[in-house]
Amino acid sequence: MRKISIGILFLSLSLSSWAQESVLNAGEYFGDLKARHIGPALMSGRVSDIELHPKNSNVVLIGSAGGGVWKSQDGGVRFTSIFDNYCQSIGAVAIDPTDPDNTYWVGTGETWTRNSVSYGDGIYKTTDGGKNWTKLGLDKTDRIASIQIHPINPNVIYVAALGALWGNSDDRGVYKTEDGGKTWNKILFVNNTTGCSELVMDPSNPNVLYAAFWEFRRTAYSFSSGGLNSALYKSTDGGKTWNKLQNGFPKGKLGRIAVTVAPSNPSIVYAVLEAEKKEEKGLYRSDDGGQNWKFLNGDFGLTVRPFYFSKISVDPKNPDIIVKAGLSGSISRDGGKTFKNLGSMHSDIHDMEFDPNNSSKMFVATDGGLYRSLDGGSSMEMIEDLPLSQFYHVSVDNREPYFVFGGLQDNNSWFGPSASPGGIEARDWELVGQGDGFRVYPHPTEPHIVYSEMQGAENIWRFDVKKQQLKVIKPYPVEGDPKFRFNWNAPITTSKHNPDRLYVGSQFVHISNDRGDSWKKISGDLTTNDKTKQNQEASGGLSADNSGAENHCTIFTIAESPLTDQVVWAGTDDGNVQLTKDGGKTWTNVTKNFPGLPLNTWCYHIESSVHGKEIAYAVFEGHTTNDYKPYVYKTIDFGQTWVSITTPEITSFVRNIQEDYKNPNLLFIGAENGLYITLNGGKNWSPFTNNFPRVAVHYLELHPEKNALVAATHGRGIIIIDDITPLRNINEGLLKSNLTFFDTKPFTISEKSNFGGTASENQFVGDNPSSNAQISYFLPRRHTFGKMTAEIVEMNGNLVAKLEAGKQKGINTISWGFNGLAPKVAKGKGWSFAGAPTVKAGKYKVKITKGNEVFEKEIEVQYDQTSSFTIVERTEQQKVTKELFDLIQDLAYFVYQIDLWDEKAEEFQKKNSAPNKTVAKLGEELDALRNKVVVTTGDNYVGAAEPQLKEKLNDIYGTIASYYGAPSSTQLENIASLKKDFDNAKATFEKIKAGSLKAFEKELTKNKTVQVPVLISFEEFLKLEK
Amino acid sequence: MLCLFLIGMNCLSFSQNVDEIISSYYETIGGKKWDAINGMRMTANVDQGGMTIPVEVVSMRDGRSFTKVTFMGNTMTMAAFDGKKSWTTNFMTMEPEESPADDSENARRMANEFPNGLVKYKDLGYTASLIGSEKIEGTDCHKIKLEKKSMLVEGKEVPNVEYYYIDKESNVPLLVETEISSGEMKGKISQTKFSDYQEVNGVFFPFYNASGLKDGESQTIQFEKIEVNPTVEDSMFAFPKK
Repeated sequence: MRKISIGILFLSLSLSSWAQESVLNAGEYFGDLKARHIGPALMSGRVSDIELHPKNSNVVLIGSAGGGVWKSQDGGVRFTSIFDNYCQSIGAVAIDPTDPDNTYWVGTGETWTRNSVSYGDGIYKTTDGGKNWTKLGLDKTDRIASIQIHPINPNVIYVAALGALWGNSDDRGVYKTEDGGKTWNKILFVNNTTGCSELVMDPSNPNVLYAAFWEFRRTAYSFSSGGLNSALYKSTDGGKTWNKLQNGFPKGKLGRIAVTVAPSNPSIVYAVLEAEKKEEKGLYRSDDGGQNWKFLNGDFGLTVRPFYFSKISVDPKNPDIIVKAGLSGSISRDGGKTFKNLGSMHSDIHDMEFDPNNSSKMFVATDGGLYRSLDGGSSMEMIEDLPLSQFYHVSVDNREPYFVFGGLQDNNSWFGPSASPGGIEARDWELVGQGDGFRVYPHPTEPHIVYSEMQGAENIWRFDVKKQQLKVIKPYPVEGDPKFRFNWNAPITTSKHNPDRLYVGSQFVHISNDRGDSWKKISGDLTTNDKTKQNQEASGGLSADNSGAENHCTIFTIAESPLTDQVVWAGTDDGNVQLTKDGGKTWTNVTKNFPGLPLNTWCYHIESSVHGKEIAYAVFEGHTTNDYKPYVYKTIDFGQTWVSITTPEITSFVRNIQEDYKNPNLLFIGAENGLYITLNGGKNWSPFTNNFPRVAVHYLELHPEKNALVAATHGRGIIIIDDITPLRNINEGLLKSNLTFFDTKPFTISEKSNFGGTASENQFVGDNPSSNAQISYFLPRRHTFGKMTAEIVEMNGNLVAKLEAGKQKGINTISWGFNGLAPKVAKGKGWSFAGAPTVKAGKYKVKITKGNEVFEKEIEVQYDQTSSFTIVERTEQQKVTKELFDLIQDLAYFVYQIDLWDEKAEEFQKKNSAPNKTVAKLGEELDALRNKVVVTTGDNYVGAAEPQLKEKLNDIYGTIASYYGAPSSTQLENIASLKKDFDNAKATFEKIKAGSLKAFEKELTKNKTVQVPVLISFEEFLKLEK
Repeated sequence: MLCLFLIGMNCLSFSQNVDEIISSYYETIGGKKWDAINGMRMTANVDQGGMTIPVEVVSMRDGRSFTKVTFMGNTMTMAAFDGKKSWTTNFMTMEPEESPADDSENARRMANEFPNGLVKYKDLGYTASLIGSEKIEGTDCHKIKLEKKSMLVEGKEVPNVEYYYIDKESNVPLLVETEISSGEMKGKISQTKFSDYQEVNGVFFPFYNASGLKDGESQTIQFEKIEVNPTVEDSMFAFPKK
């Protein structure tokens, strides 16, 4: 009975928190909440298409598989992303030959149709070099293989639409516009399973076009390339009529066809065919514009995986130099008779582009980024500025700074820091797996132990990073077991309840309580075990392609409740959701309880809630059945009932959800077109676009200590929102006040200092998080008119620091580096820095003045709890810092007095024609004194003068103030010596005052040409401009 | 024919809109009162991690300008344009140095923009077009493309384009954006954000601006005082005789 009442209490608590949910549209208020990108770029990611400016080969455009469009203006040294706000899966980029500086076209939807390929949403155009884009239709074409622009009339454009990969579609074929993209006509269509995979224009005659058509289809468990409808077509009248080219081609079914025209002799056409017979697959050449073809070569490099590598390029000056995409890329210098591999680079070559004006230079697109060759493809250099990494997953540890772990498409498994001196560089990342990488986890309490896997769990590793010891720990079948079916991206997860526990999913849930050394199955086959979906050996169509990518009827996600290890959820790629509440003894299939969910829709993620063991979220995605709708559900009764929490604001399918650990109504969704956030449990969603491109988000993790949302994107690496806590507290109430501060934890003063990074100028460096105090507040509307300033003050109101207040609608964040105000330094020549001291730990107030209103918020500053410095040492450091601070200001006032009298003396001499010896002497004495206390000559480099008292004081002050421990005895002795120097200088000044200065004062009472100077007080002096 | 008519209408309504927007902006910041303004002096104390750096910016109707800072007891002209030449101070020698010829030429080409190129775009032969609406930090803005006369970059003529984001409610620009045309950051977008518009002698100035790379850190400046029609010695703009 008692148990029941507690249950009801929890339920009512949960309901009441739901009742208080916000109806605000979060997107209006994200304000300063911005994402940062940490890459990495060292392995980069798949590049799908390259385009070079026809005249200025310094301009390079690339389209990537999942990371958008990038532009270089320096021949590929550095790249800038120019397509962040749009679909990041790119099929083709094109430069308008009539306006190559400004007008580009982008066809979205990659056409290298591997299992993990994304999809596009149409065609876009820019007329200002990529700063602004307009969408011009073809929304439903899914993937665009080629864009061909008429060389004289840019309103005439032909587009190859490959179309849907996962289902039938009529939105494919060759499209033509004659009005610059306002309207499109489909000018060649074969059927709803066959799309245009390549389209090339004869460079000497824009009416001549070659179009390759490909019959193809993927399902979650199979791939088929080829059919009787695949063919190569030619038009000689700008697409009005088309003829099938087949004279010399093999009979029967064809697969994907690569085709190109030799620019220097357009009657030479090359085609690479995927055919039924092995001996008929390979390179064909026509010397009469495609009328007749001859088979030339069937080498592995030409025939390998046509769905992935059907691209061929010809040297713009020499029709016999041909480059073919492939596992390594192949080059022929004898018109296609023989080939050799391109220079060493990342495998899986998708596109090759010769510099039109210098064909020894070429760019090559691979699964591992973009390469450049300056010697005709013999040696390759990687472009290191393209963070296109395609993560499948991410996890985090609890170190300081925390590390992120994840695996990538064809690019291994890695971990790297969330912060590093000078930024997060290539060298900061450590390799922890091979092949395609997926789920990577640190051991929960010993993060140097890392678990990783490769495709289809061919290997699951436990890697001791410290000892560099590697062990394969995957579960093997034992007597009586069927073959284990592991997904391409097999689930691994650790446990909140037992640090040595691991879960792995095949069709069974496997558990290990000894870090993977031994395993037991805790479930039966949780999938549908549909045998018709388990015939992967037959996959591929005309070219067998059994890579493991189509393994099906497998478990894809496992979620142990963070509240009890008895509750474990499993979701399968064939649509099942199963639950155990007794640690795996019994399982319940709850699949039938999801309203509106099509049967067998892939369960991509289950999130077992921290807010109640009975609460969970389940994410399904049906894109492998051509269904791009989002499916996200919540249960509060162990899966007996599920409620959909998606809205039409989510415009693509979804792979992941992350709940907030504090506010149950704050949720984050990783969708194929970006990140979405809700403040109200899913009543409405807003895309988050503050430095967050519309990139596919495969996985989200919320760091429990840092409150950082870490996104594994499939094309733009790891993207982090460092602190989501302001989102927890946004509600309607905030609209009533003109400004509301958000509560914060105490801020910690970072004591770290270092020498920065080592990356070269052409390498990508990921952003670091700020180590400053981040003080956030909410403005219901933007501040545009009138003054608005911010200050840090002591609790008694004394000014500590002046800061800049953010003015935007929603969340604003002031960044404070824990500094007070710098000392006022003596006037002199050259740079001699005296920075602001760091404040002491304690309570302060943030004060914002907005027009006539003042808003205050108490904040707390604390020392680094892990620091080795004692309070006694800190007190000593602060005392000496203050002493030096005062000395610097005393010296400034001292020099002010010297200058004041010296200027007067000079003025006197100027105004009196007869030089006065007393005054001249005063001038000389003051000059001599000044020269002992400040530098007055030289420059700031090798012509610098010897440092004087000011420079020496500033130097020792900087040394003491920037360290957090006590000053050393040597430093204290140095200070004592400087004080003595200052005392001597003061004594000299006193002598001057008593001597020549007194005489000058007397002179001034007689000679009124110059007024007696008015000495301001020290306090007034400090208020003068510094 | 109907299509042509519609396109014509479209262009017309766009051009009307852009002029209405610019005109509202101009009226909001003072309109005709600007005719009486021949220059301004803006002063600020920029805080750099606790160090206060006094900054003085003078900008004249005839295009002459200078920015003077005082840093660690040294006062120097960071950048200046005397109407013909641009110059800076070398931080190593503290001596004045002439800017590259391109910079001076570009400054000459933009010398008649006072108070800014958008409100005077017609007189200057620039093109302004409304290219849409966009939310800037949650606020609805008109996005206007301002195409100025071309500029010289490393000896070549390149387009000189600015994008103004004008708050639909308050009629003033919140953000101006441009592509960086040379150097390591070439191709990246630089932004200047404006706020704290306040009146001085009947005209409005943004007393706060923040400049930096899009999505990156920015350098902010909060002007404490803006003085119109200041008295400034000609020598302040001129390249000092060595």
